[in-house]
Amino acid sequence: MTVTMKDFDYSKAIAELEAIATRVEDPETGLDDIDALVTRSKLLVKQCRDYLRTVRDKVDSLDKD
Amino acid sequence: MERTGYIDLAVLQARVKEGLSDLFPERLWVRAEISQWSPRANGHCYLSLSQTKDGITVAEARAMIWRSSYLTLKDFFERETGTELRAGITVLVRVQVSFHEVYGYSLVIDDIDPAFTLGERAAERQRTIERLTAGGYMELQRELALPLLPYRLAVISSGTAAGLQDFRNHLLDNEYGFAFEVVLFEALMQGEGAPASIIDAIDRVQEGQFDAVLLLRGGGSELDLACFDDYSLAVALATCPVPVFTAIGHDKDVHVADLVAHKAVKTPTALADEFLACYIAEDERIGMLGMRIVKSLLRKVGAMEAPFVAAMHRIRMAASARLGLEVSRVALQEARIASTDPRTILDRGYVLVTGEDGKLLKSASRIDVGHNIGVRFGDGRLKATVTEVTTGLIK
Repeated sequence: MTVTMKDFDYSKAIAELEAIATRVEDPETGLDDIDALVTRSKLLVKQCRDYLRTVRDKVDSLDKD
Repeated sequence: MERTGYIDLAVLQARVKEGLSDLFPERLWVRAEISQWSPRANGHCYLSLSQTKDGITVAEARAMIWRSSYLTLKDFFERETGTELRAGITVLVRVQVSFHEVYGYSLVIDDIDPAFTLGERAAERQRTIERLTAGGYMELQRELALPLLPYRLAVISSGTAAGLQDFRNHLLDNEYGFAFEVVLFEALMQGEGAPASIIDAIDRVQEGQFDAVLLLRGGGSELDLACFDDYSLAVALATCPVPVFTAIGHDKDVHVADLVAHKAVKTPTALADEFLACYIAEDERIGMLGMRIVKSLLRKVGAMEAPFVAAMHRIRMAASARLGLEVSRVALQEARIASTDPRTILDRGYVLVTGEDGKLLKSASRIDVGHNIGVRFGDGRLKATVTEVTTGLIK
């Protein structure tokens, strides 16, 4: 999947990764749900890593922080 | 009516010369600011020494350093102070008061005290720090937060600074592939004009959107770094709304600019490392989050497999125990068989004796002297003739 960095919100992606980690660690979460969560987390990890290596557009959500 | 009470100018000048000579027969040390400085092609250096009070000149004198001492004196001073000998600095010089009938009054300089200038500068620097502290400027930059991933960097430097290229190479060609945007704002990085030029660059930077401002000297002469102790420059740096990093790169001193900055480092490479470190930390954090999720998954799968694994273990253990039992039973039988084998006994030194009829003899009482008997060992046999028979229990 191509990451369009223009729309990518790094802080949001990191927050989602944190939330996924918490859910996966929860004993109540079923294995079927985990499968989807892990797939999603792999995509997020890749997007975040790409973001660090991508030339950004002029306006960026991080600047507003 | 002709006036008679006058003297010739030459006489007057001669008297002034004599008077001055009597008044200042020896050389003396004078503190003054160099207000004009003009070394000439002929090797002599002409200058003006002055003193100001509240911005007004209260004393001024013409001075010169003759060619015979100019270069030695200049080199000595610049080596000791790290400051170029020029207009604008305060010096302590040894002078001979001199008067020439044609050229007038002047001071001939033949020695200079670098320690005085260093002391003056240290005192001035201390006064600047106290002023900045009183004005609340010292902590302003440290209160600013650098963005999580500083990306757009405004570099204030001389366009020709060697260190600028080092910085760019180290930052932009980093082995991790992290991306940055670097914009150069050129400014004078040494000498008298440097503070105003840098302040102007800081103003220009604020027209754009930057995550950090980097003041990078990046090589060149190490003379005239006193500009980085300038009060106005320090105020401009301190009040910059974006975090300012300095890499002035002088091992001997910490400059006032370093003290007010968000962070000061020594070299352009160290400056690049500051920003790379932010990205490395974030990259590791992403990796850790990914690992945390995968490990949780593995733990969960592991927990679900645990009863199955335990059952398999029990089966394996039981099978292994059963097999062990069978193995030991077989071994026992083998040992028993081995112990009843006559060859095992013969190997230990016993023999079998047979009579002339070939039957096993179990008693000495059935043999007489002269009988032929057979003796069997573990590894062979022999025939023998009985020469003596003794019955009864062998003791």
